[in-house]
Amino acid sequence: MRLKLGHTACVAMLLAATAAFAQSKPVAGEVAEGSLKGKTLTLVSYGGIYQDGQAAALKEFVDKSGVKLLNDGPTEIAKLQAQVESGNVTWDVVDTDDLPPYVYCGKLFQKLDLTKLDVSKIPEGQVGECSVPAMNYGVVLMYNKEKYKDNPPKSWADFFDTQKFPGVRGIDGSGSPTGGLLEQAFKVSGGDPKAMTVADIDKAIDVVRKLGPDTIFWKTGAESQQLAESGEADMLMMWTGRAMTAVKNGAKYAPAWQDWLVVMDQMTIPVGVKDTDASYALINAYLGKQSQEILAEKTSYTPINSEAQPKVDASVSAFLTNSPERQAQGYKQNFKFWVPNFAVAQEKWSALMAGN
Amino acid sequence: MSALEPTTPSVPKRAGWAWRPFALTLPALLLLVAVIGYPLFTIVLRSLSEPQWGAQNYVWFFGTPVNLTVLQRTFVISAWVTLVCVVCAYPYAYLMTAVGPRVRLALVLCVLIPFWVSGVVRTLSWVILLQDSGVINSVLRSVGLDGVRLIRTQTGVVIGMAQVLLPFMILPLYSVMRGIDLRLMRAAQSLGARPFRAFFTVYLPLSLPGVYAGAIIVFILALGFYITPALLGGPRSTMLSTLVQTQVLSLLQWGRGGAMGVVLLVTTFVLLALAAPVMRSRHREAGRR
Repeated sequence: MRLKLGHTACVAMLLAATAAFAQSKPVAGEVAEGSLKGKTLTLVSYGGIYQDGQAAALKEFVDKSGVKLLNDGPTEIAKLQAQVESGNVTWDVVDTDDLPPYVYCGKLFQKLDLTKLDVSKIPEGQVGECSVPAMNYGVVLMYNKEKYKDNPPKSWADFFDTQKFPGVRGIDGSGSPTGGLLEQAFKVSGGDPKAMTVADIDKAIDVVRKLGPDTIFWKTGAESQQLAESGEADMLMMWTGRAMTAVKNGAKYAPAWQDWLVVMDQMTIPVGVKDTDASYALINAYLGKQSQEILAEKTSYTPINSEAQPKVDASVSAFLTNSPERQAQGYKQNFKFWVPNFAVAQEKWSALMAGN
Repeated sequence: MSALEPTTPSVPKRAGWAWRPFALTLPALLLLVAVIGYPLFTIVLRSLSEPQWGAQNYVWFFGTPVNLTVLQRTFVISAWVTLVCVVCAYPYAYLMTAVGPRVRLALVLCVLIPFWVSGVVRTLSWVILLQDSGVINSVLRSVGLDGVRLIRTQTGVVIGMAQVLLPFMILPLYSVMRGIDLRLMRAAQSLGARPFRAFFTVYLPLSLPGVYAGAIIVFILALGFYITPALLGGPRSTMLSTLVQTQVLSLLQWGRGGAMGVVLLVTTFVLLALAAPVMRSRHREAGRR
């Protein structure tokens, strides 16, 4: 009896020690064999080639852990809110836009316990209180090479200067305002983005409004790509993934990289998920070198593990944003300003979008 | 009729006979209550209770100029779409009644096949046709004319929406026109009416119920359009649904979104109530003639 008790205690201690070890030192990309057997996780993202790439990146995690992975989407914060409020959260890991995890941190998204994730390979300044990046990309100024020939636009200041650079502009009108673009617009109006106040949002939006009635506000990434391929717009604010595809398809456009706007998708764990640790395990596996390489190869988005070296052809690598040169040219929006002022900015931006 | 009278009183005597038809509609009623009634109630409730009880969301709606502009624009665009649909559908539906069964089948298929294609696909096809470098403009330019700006204008939105909604106008019109005895036209002409006169005093009034039915369906469906104005329109053709979407999906302001929905619904009811007497009187007039 005694012996048996001792034996049990021993096993228990060993188990506890393993658990403690596993918790104290997670390694990005690794998961214990069979650790999630019989469990189900639902990953929510934006569908299409992107979510297919994410599923491919997580295949090893699924095979090894024994988890059943379900895919759902697209991500809608309103739906997530309904789940959290009703106490029935079926989304275990949610890929969101840049801002929501900051705006709804602690309300809809859990504050992350960084002892359960290996964030050591994530580019600096990208881990939030409630999120880690899901991938990186950029918003880049693309211009029509045939229209501007020897005198191409070089910066957002040129983008907003219709006198020096006549032509039709295309802007992301898919919904929310892009903080970085408004900051660049505010700079054009003579302000300092670092010292921006709520009243300055109007000034920034006025700069956009002054581009005139010909300005195109594209609603979807596909539309922006189509605008480039058909040559409908002379200068376009574009997501790098779409810019790459447009150029690959023969659009005669080139990027002006100065002050390209750094954007990312975020990985989050909603408040009230059934198995928080399983969600952590998924994200930790996702952050791994190999997963990120697969993701980049399948989607051409920039991996967020600094050791990842995806095998991609030149047309893709031209639009990856993690080279030292690109990192130096990138412009990061002022998160501290936009998070508390998100609603105000959205309100004003929507009015612009509605023709006011 | 009077000969049958003695037998009829025995019918209501049977217990439960009177409400039996209602019992048959019970599944439909339950479904309506569950999928229309309850959500609608929630929308009204949330528009009055979020973030706290009161009329704040309505005060906000009517105090924000952009909302009123867009509300008005939503009705104007829907009215244009309805008008375009009537003008296009009327001769088409008439043709369907006038031709033989084979051609009619072909005409019906022409209406229905696009109806089975997803609205998004059809709208994207319109993008290809309407854009500045699109089919319409290249044809115009190749014959030496100036191109016209169609995409990102209200005209473009009206064209796209009218095409999507056309079946909702043609089908009710056709079903009414099919019941009109074409010999009445001949009778009118034999009494000395010119074809035009015969049409306007005989055929048109008889077909009006179809026009009204179709117009109401098209107008109401148009009010809630989202995809087509979003893809074919620019800022100056944004409709109310887009603003609702912004409030709910990106700002999580369910109360404001709800208030916008309620305003749209109530305004629609008011407009239909105003139009109802006109429709009814014409109806009666047509009946009398």
